[in-house]
Amino acid sequence: MAYSDSVQQTPGPSGAEYGFAARLGRWLTPTNVILIVCALIAAWLVLVPLAALFYTAFAEDTPYGPGAFTLQNFVDVLTDRYLGDLFMKSLIFAGGTAIVTFALGTAVAWVVERTDAPGRGWFHGFALLSFAVPGLLTTMAWILIFSPNIGWLNGELKNWFGLEKAPFNIYSMGGMIWALSSHYFPLAYLLMGPAFRVLDTRMEEAAVMSGANNYQVATRVTMPLLRPAILSTLLLLFIRGMESFEVPRLLGLPARIFVFTTQIQSATSNAPPQFGLAGAHGIILLLICVIGVYLYRRSTRNAEAFATITGKGYQPTTVRLGVWRWPVFIGIAVMFFAALGLPLFTLVWQSFFRNVTLPSFDAFSTMSWENYNIILHYPIFLNAVKNSVMLGAMAATIVVLFTMVMAWIAHRAAKQYGWILDVLTFVPIAIPSIIIGASILFAYLVIPIHVYNTIWILLIAYVTMNLPYGMRFTSSGIMQIHKELEEVAQMSGANLLQIFQRVLLPLLAPVLIAAWLYIFVLAVRELSASIFLSGPGTHVLGTISLTMWEEGGSFGAVCALGVIQILPLILIVMAMRWVEMRVGKRH
Amino acid sequence: MLVVENLRKSFMAQNGLVHAVDGVSFTVESGKLLTLLGPSGCGKTTTLRCIAGLERPDSGRISIDGHDVFNSERGLFVPPNERGIGMVFQSYAIWPHMSVFENVAFPLRVAKGRKHSRAEIAEKVKVALEKVRLGGYEGRSATQLSGGQQQRLALARGLVREPGLLLLDEPLSNLDAKLREQMRFELKRLQLELGVTTLYVTHDQAEALALSDEVLVMSGGKVMQRGNPTDIYRRPNSEFVADFIGSTNLLPGRVEGAVGADGKGVVRTEEGAVHCTFFQPIANGAEALVSVRPEDIFITAPNAARSGSVLPAKVENRVFLGEVIDYIVRCGTRDLRVRAKPEQDFAIGADVALELYVDRCVGLRADDSRKTQIQT
Repeated sequence: MAYSDSVQQTPGPSGAEYGFAARLGRWLTPTNVILIVCALIAAWLVLVPLAALFYTAFAEDTPYGPGAFTLQNFVDVLTDRYLGDLFMKSLIFAGGTAIVTFALGTAVAWVVERTDAPGRGWFHGFALLSFAVPGLLTTMAWILIFSPNIGWLNGELKNWFGLEKAPFNIYSMGGMIWALSSHYFPLAYLLMGPAFRVLDTRMEEAAVMSGANNYQVATRVTMPLLRPAILSTLLLLFIRGMESFEVPRLLGLPARIFVFTTQIQSATSNAPPQFGLAGAHGIILLLICVIGVYLYRRSTRNAEAFATITGKGYQPTTVRLGVWRWPVFIGIAVMFFAALGLPLFTLVWQSFFRNVTLPSFDAFSTMSWENYNIILHYPIFLNAVKNSVMLGAMAATIVVLFTMVMAWIAHRAAKQYGWILDVLTFVPIAIPSIIIGASILFAYLVIPIHVYNTIWILLIAYVTMNLPYGMRFTSSGIMQIHKELEEVAQMSGANLLQIFQRVLLPLLAPVLIAAWLYIFVLAVRELSASIFLSGPGTHVLGTISLTMWEEGGSFGAVCALGVIQILPLILIVMAMRWVEMRVGKRH
Repeated sequence: MLVVENLRKSFMAQNGLVHAVDGVSFTVESGKLLTLLGPSGCGKTTTLRCIAGLERPDSGRISIDGHDVFNSERGLFVPPNERGIGMVFQSYAIWPHMSVFENVAFPLRVAKGRKHSRAEIAEKVKVALEKVRLGGYEGRSATQLSGGQQQRLALARGLVREPGLLLLDEPLSNLDAKLREQMRFELKRLQLELGVTTLYVTHDQAEALALSDEVLVMSGGKVMQRGNPTDIYRRPNSEFVADFIGSTNLLPGRVEGAVGADGKGVVRTEEGAVHCTFFQPIANGAEALVSVRPEDIFITAPNAARSGSVLPAKVENRVFLGEVIDYIVRCGTRDLRVRAKPEQDFAIGADVALELYVDRCVGLRADDSRKTQIQT
């Protein structure tokens, strides 16, 4: 059936002859039916949890679930004398992380994209690699490095300099910002890198030819051109900081530094659980994030006006560093070592020892595989691996296929209604995963669909959270495919199914694989939503790691568990990079 | 044979409803090539896409070889994949993930009803590729082909099913000038050889004149003029057509005296009286325009002019192009373009006389042309 049917129809001179039913019949083309079905599913996934969040926040908590309407939850939150403190701490934490992350990431981006420093390819690889390391594990590693009591580097520093007290305390605002920044700075690099890459150096050259010196070029041309990218990167990092849960949970709680995410989670794990209070906190956090995302969209909306790629003649030129090549290389290498190497090394080292052990040559004799042995014979762990892998694979498959259909409908078949799908699938970007977890919990405690305490509730959460990423990948993929490639297939006699099978799927395959791997990694790493939704028998890697850590059995065993998680994820990220490079070559 | 009757299609645009195709009717006889010619936005591509089935018209009737594929009165709309039309797109739309062979074989592989055997497909693909002189390229990756080869490949794919109708949407516009000229002959040869009814869409008048049996000039969603290339060029019926096809000089004035049965008449312009030929009836004293092409003006020394309407002028500028000299001459208050033989060599600033011949000057109704201007 022709999907071009659904191009905007306007009744022609004879249009009046058609009755309402006839017109409805004509409007109900297969593509419009698919559109409606997709919109309904997406709306269910996205809007139901949000409705549950609001319902819970405005209802009394009773032992039987949400009760009568009340504003008490908000009164409790807003009159809490620690509210100001909570706000300040959250803002400092998120803002600080954004700035530190941005500085580190931009430095790497500039070096990789615009200089002739050695090792640029490696830095790009390392940046992607750190995406494979779950934030929970990085945070644990930082505790093992900089905890005042057990941190090995603190211990070494005390020995070397003969200090009485540990020089660093990871259980502090500074420690939290550092721990999260070390995890997020590759994200800043990945966001700023393209901005540097597309910056047409001829614009800078034109400024030089007009008589500007280096400083004037930087402040009057380069920075203004990069401004949209800088703004949007900072905003996104800030939102990510507001949403982050692992660091505040592991480092903030012991230091009594509370932020919104930890506040929400602790309210639901109180006995009896204060769902209403958690909901009210959730709505405040949601508002902050929505404002952030709104500003982010605004800052990127006009980005096209700044798009400075100018087609064929474009030749990126690099800054010649001269004698600074190696110092710059060493600087960036040290940064990567400090942010990525140190925690990874610590995890690997500690995984061979039962107790906290300082790295030393003497210790080699006491290394053992004992921790791995314990982990691999621990049924709960094996079950969690199975759950995580299954959930990751299912969520990735569902999201990729679902968003592919939606992207096609939105950008090809039913353009005039497509924005509905775009908006629906974009909404979860603004919802911190902790709120998605909590709201889905609230929703399915009330809705009589029995998914609570099964892995299906986790699947719903993972699918919902990853809709925006799936949509981004598939939309850009579809928009890269010239519409005439589909039309000519249609003219050649192919029906809708054949067009999908023989033209769209093969052309989209690299994008779909990249999207699948990306979502799979995100789902396997997931903790903040899972913590609300997993129960006995439905533990996933994130929740089991946290439980093992907090129950304080053995640091060594948790590290072994971490290493077992990270290795396959690294392989997947490498596969993703490979697919990406193939896509890059083809276009 | 293709029949299009009273085709209408409008779109919602930002500034309201746009009648992209506004009551277009025409037929293309079997085996003929008709070109839809017009500037961008004139509705030619929309018309083509309606015939293809890629757009659904608001009303009208489209029939191919006696079978309706669209008929708004009967509520009939045959989807494009069931119309059996061959089509070549502007971008060629060569599938990059398929080999040359697979690209051409595709229409046979997805054919509804009739399953083609492997050998049959191989044979048909081979024949189609040989027709477009791409024999032996079967195993190549489609992306390795040059622009001109991709164009031929797209054509082979469109022809492999031996369609009753071939649609060509600006197929030469992505080629460089030399290749375009070459492909023009190639297309003409193929079309004659295969005798396939062809509808060709272009904004390039040279292409249209070179290829077509008939040309349909469109503007503002309407058909402005229809005729064979010579008629369209020699006897434009409006300022729009005269100006769009080739280049022309337009002299406004008023009809002086009655127009004869042979269409011969006189228009009094600011520059002087011009004898011209009208192809539409026009009243004495009506506002009119005279259209005369640069190559139809004879430029000569002031006292040497002998025949036709003679207008005095002065050379403003000249460009020597080898086989011709292009002049801009000032005639009264107006600049006219003149294309002359190299022998007619005058310096800038020289006083000259222009001879205009009654057969080569086309008289147009002024009101028609004003309306056209508003539409375009």
